[in-house]
Amino acid sequence: MRALFMSILYMSILPACFAGVRHFGFVYEAPTSAPGSFELENWITSKDADQVAFRHEIEIGLTDHFQASIYFADWSWTKSETRYDDAALELIYNFTNPVIDPIGLSIYQEIRGGDELIECESKIIAQKNFGPLILAYNATVEAVWEDDEREGEFTNAIGASYEISPRLSVGVELLHEFVFPDWHDGEEIRNVFVGPNVSYRRANWFVTVCALAQATSTPDEPDVQVRAIVGVGL
Amino acid sequence: MKRLLFVSLGLLGGCAAYVPPIVTNEHVDLAQGRELFAQRCIECHTLPPVWHYSREEWPRIVDSMAHRASLRPNERAAILAYILAARDIPVERAR
Repeated sequence: MRALFMSILYMSILPACFAGVRHFGFVYEAPTSAPGSFELENWITSKDADQVAFRHEIEIGLTDHFQASIYFADWSWTKSETRYDDAALELIYNFTNPVIDPIGLSIYQEIRGGDELIECESKIIAQKNFGPLILAYNATVEAVWEDDEREGEFTNAIGASYEISPRLSVGVELLHEFVFPDWHDGEEIRNVFVGPNVSYRRANWFVTVCALAQATSTPDEPDVQVRAIVGVGL
Repeated sequence: MKRLLFVSLGLLGGCAAYVPPIVTNEHVDLAQGRELFAQRCIECHTLPPVWHYSREEWPRIVDSMAHRASLRPNERAAILAYILAARDIPVERAR
């Protein structure tokens, strides 16, 4: 508690700094942001070009191992409408380091609320750095209540990112989703997405782009989704 | 195809897990410097081996990233002290 109080006090007197770079578009990494850092992240996710989702997020490093993010506006565009979707709070706590410990581990919790929407998402994030290679794995459990419907989802996400230079990384990501409409597995919906990513960073900003193609043939899921994340230290 | 295989093997060869070596020094808290080095620097990039840059280059490199990594002056000093101390131990021991 004292550490948290001191961190908040420290944040209030220190000039704001950069929170950290994302090497992946869809996979989360275990390290958390430095205490006192603030970052604005803007996300754009296009699904088959029919739907484009936007996210504006503030990421704050609270302690050496704890960060919070506020998604203050998730909104989307389709051919028929543009609408505000939801806002969310995301918390990540880091337990071990992916360099000096055998494996880096973090836990993630997100709560999202919108118009007749509540979503709860939990992750275990594992990461190991092998020199310039970053390997990351996320196990995600998600529960959604929207209007009168409810749905569950379990996702395995794996990513590899190779640092060509301190400014440039390239890699690959794979998502394996299990969808449970109305909490049941009767329809056995399995989606697999795979594709490349690239991340470029400079002084206090970065941009990461990832394009995933559907390797399964689920009709309601996009064939291609592209995500770009632009982060700027405040 | 052979060329691709050679390039792939070459890339993987450079991916051995680099763990910053443990260094002790009675005058400075090098353990804190090691922890900060492994924790703050990887928020943006992977860790270069400490012998990758010269003693003269490291202070400039750490200074150029200190603000981005939210390092206070004592944390910056601890990281630099650790890097310079670790750099002095033989490469075979540091691996």
